[in-house]
Amino acid sequence: MRKWIAGAALAMTAMAGSAMAEGHGDYPERPLMMMVSYGAGGATDFQARIVTMTAGNEDALQMPVAILNRAGAGGRVGWNWFATEAETDGYTLGAYNVPHFIAQSIEGGVDYSVDSFEPIANWGADPAVFVVAADSDFNSMADVVAYATQNPGGLTFSGAGLFVGHHIAALQLEKAAGVELAYIPNNAGGAGAMRAVIAGEVLGGVNNLSDAFRAREAGTVKILGVFDLERNAFLEDVPTMMEQGYDIDNASVNFRGVMVPAGTDPAIIDHLAAIVPTMFENGRVQSRMEAGGSPMHIMTRDEVIEMWAQRQETLEALLADL
Amino acid sequence: MEFLFYMGDVFTPLNFGLLLLGTIGGLILGATPGLSPTMTVALLIPFTFKLEPQQGLILLGAAYTSTVAGGAVSAILLKIPGAPANIATTLDGHTMAQKGDGAKALQVSFIASAIGGLFGVLLLIFLTPVLAKWALAFGPSELFWLAILGVTVIGTLDSSSVVKGLLSGCIGLWLATIGFDDIMGAQRFIFHSSLSGGINVIPALIGLFAIPQVIGMLAKGRKGNDAEIITVKRHPIGAAFREVFSRKRALSIGTAVGSIIGLIPGVGGQIAGLVAYDQSKKMSPDSAKFGTGHPEGVIAAESANNAMVGPSLVPLLTLSIPGSPTAAVLLGGLLIHGIFPGPTLFAQYPQVVWPFINSMLIGQILMCVFGLLIAGWAANVARVPPAVMAAIVLSLAVFGSYSVQHSMGDVYVMMSLGLSMFFLERFGFSAAPLVLGLILGPIAEANFIQGAMIANATVGQLTYFFTGWLNWLLIAIVVMSVGYSIWMELGQRRYTTKEDASV
Amino acid sequence: MSDLPRSQHIIASGLIAGVGLAVAYISFTQEPADAFVFPRLISSVFAALAIWTFVKAAMGRTKVGAGLSGLEMRNMLPGLGIALVYAFWAAKELGFYTATTITFFILLTIYDPAPHGAVSTWVKRVLITAGFMAVMYGLFAVLLNVFTPREIFS
Repeated sequence: MRKWIAGAALAMTAMAGSAMAEGHGDYPERPLMMMVSYGAGGATDFQARIVTMTAGNEDALQMPVAILNRAGAGGRVGWNWFATEAETDGYTLGAYNVPHFIAQSIEGGVDYSVDSFEPIANWGADPAVFVVAADSDFNSMADVVAYATQNPGGLTFSGAGLFVGHHIAALQLEKAAGVELAYIPNNAGGAGAMRAVIAGEVLGGVNNLSDAFRAREAGTVKILGVFDLERNAFLEDVPTMMEQGYDIDNASVNFRGVMVPAGTDPAIIDHLAAIVPTMFENGRVQSRMEAGGSPMHIMTRDEVIEMWAQRQETLEALLADL
Repeated sequence: MEFLFYMGDVFTPLNFGLLLLGTIGGLILGATPGLSPTMTVALLIPFTFKLEPQQGLILLGAAYTSTVAGGAVSAILLKIPGAPANIATTLDGHTMAQKGDGAKALQVSFIASAIGGLFGVLLLIFLTPVLAKWALAFGPSELFWLAILGVTVIGTLDSSSVVKGLLSGCIGLWLATIGFDDIMGAQRFIFHSSLSGGINVIPALIGLFAIPQVIGMLAKGRKGNDAEIITVKRHPIGAAFREVFSRKRALSIGTAVGSIIGLIPGVGGQIAGLVAYDQSKKMSPDSAKFGTGHPEGVIAAESANNAMVGPSLVPLLTLSIPGSPTAAVLLGGLLIHGIFPGPTLFAQYPQVVWPFINSMLIGQILMCVFGLLIAGWAANVARVPPAVMAAIVLSLAVFGSYSVQHSMGDVYVMMSLGLSMFFLERFGFSAAPLVLGLILGPIAEANFIQGAMIANATVGQLTYFFTGWLNWLLIAIVVMSVGYSIWMELGQRRYTTKEDASV
Repeated sequence: MSDLPRSQHIIASGLIAGVGLAVAYISFTQEPADAFVFPRLISSVFAALAIWTFVKAAMGRTKVGAGLSGLEMRNMLPGLGIALVYAFWAAKELGFYTATTITFFILLTIYDPAPHGAVSTWVKRVLITAGFMAVMYGLFAVLLNVFTPREIFS
């Protein structure tokens, strides 16, 4: 009985707790909000919820961070809102996905660019991988490219959308292997793209390493290559594209992190830039991310600024050919 | 029978406490306008951090089950569907409540939910491997035809005129194209910055259903109130059980449609209730009674809604693919505890998975018990004077639509759509087909574009969309459904002509 | 069918037909064409059905829809005005809780049939408003942690 009451009380306080947390000092005085431009349950949303779970701690922001999903059109809806309408009072944070938002801003038709946002810190780097169904005849990238050479434009493969990391990886593959491929953007994001591969609707797919790792554990896919500079700790046995003879760098690696809209008070940015990375280093955060198969890659504000500038350059060059 | 072995785990004091908490909390949150089951489960995930995996999942399972049923409460009492799943419930449920039969409507809805829900979870327990194949059978071409099938339902759904029903559906389909398109990212029909994110379904639902009703109440004016004092009839629970079991047709159509459609990734949960409602109406000898407060409408809609809960988790648990937004959120709940769904899930983590599934089973029963307990009392909402009711619904609509995305734009969209819908309803249009168009538009479009891209790279569009038994089956049903609508329209015309002649 | 609903039907269906044609026009003129394939299809059907409805209304053959009587319009106008001001202006500018309290109270005052003269009526109205606001605050602010605009108190 006592255990019962304890359990109920625990859950009750947990439910009310976040609202009751009291703040001291100037900033933050009330709970913060973090906009995620993908739907609840997606990889970005899931990781954002984990990395912000300790925000209310004494040694962190001392205020909880609530996740707010504004999904649609590969992230454009959320980032457009963040660039044009979000408050610059420091209480509205956003999650970024690079190369997605940079590629979209280069392609045009959106109201944001790298100058619209101020990065705070980076928490993760999820490389793209090439997957095929577990019963596929393809066993290496060479098989895939051979098929594509025989059937120009006939190799269908799925990805999470246009001008997102997966699409960048697809463009790089086409260019490096010198073949024409049929990239099929999926409207249901990475999960939808993975489903298309497993169900055999497409011959292959580009997907997130974290999701592909999980699918391989479930025995539904084979992973043929990683679109990164080196092999990943989660997938020691999978060679990089470079190892298989395709000149592909890490431009498609999906960097996820926290940012605020441009125009936010520099003092607040500095405050966040100092504290947020330590939040990511928290042991509980790290173990949850590890358990979920999500590779972490913590970067400070200065490192992220540099990474953004570098991506801007690479992507401009890559997309100029389109 | 392995699930029986783990049944005891659900009844340990702590776990059962969490189960109760999840069920009651889920009912309350589910009944809150603007909070869909997906958002409710997402809100609860952080609280499971502090719990053991088994306990966390029990909480989530119970909450998922009862939020779906809780949505019926606001649908029946306030005519605000909590989520797309509850749209069909408003059609007859709210009419019943207005007539003073709210207690009956709620009781019937909870019993039908529990029966459908139990059936769905039992499917999940016994037929998971078989069902997993079915869930994968729906590719872009099949989903496209399924969406088209949904569109054909539009004409006969809750509208006395097929043409106006279809026109309402077209308006919905058009509204769905506003904003960035999902695949190309091009901007379409963005007349105002509130629309740049497109029209979010939940605020649209709230506006389209709740606001016309608020304005309708206001239109009756200050004096009109005395005329309609509603006596809320008491309804014995035993009679409710007899009522549900005497409507076997609606109950079985609802359960079957919900289970089958619930499996289909991305589509199921949202349209199961509407399709089941429409099918029951077409197959019922007293189809004219639908929409006038007929219990069969509530039974079909709610049994379908909850029947979809179990099957919707099949692709997640077996293939690690979330088939619905809520399943995607639950996936997060599993991953946080280091549990990877997949074929080995049941062998590796039986002590987590089975209690999770059992919690949904027991949750259905608890939800039904609580629902029946509050039904008689909650039905008194119908006695609230219209002036107070209008003010309450208006405020809930504003708060509910804001809380979905913390966006004033959604409030503006909600209000504008609601105001337009009030006038449209007065001229013979109805909200249900419009919402169905809004939901199905993106599914039809995205799958058509994807299918066309795959087809162009491989076999050609004609072959791609018109071969395969599942495509043929769906096309055949589409043709039948259209034929039925035309027959209805002609029949109606004959009927009205006869009436004109007799006058 | 009396003349009032008939002319109302003509106006209403005319407006819808206008929207339908406008949507069709935009769909067929906007670029990129690829992104407008689906809108073109929908808007064609939309416009066709809307014109059909308009023609039927003009011929007086509309069978469903009661239209709006003058009395109903007079009744709803003040409340509708308040509701619109509330949703489009007050909620954001005054803050959700302030605006809701005011709107709620005014709507009760206008539409509640209890006599304005009695003190008990006013006590009841204040109590109902306060009780409702307490529930809303508990649900949205405390339990769900929704941060609504609260301009005048920030």
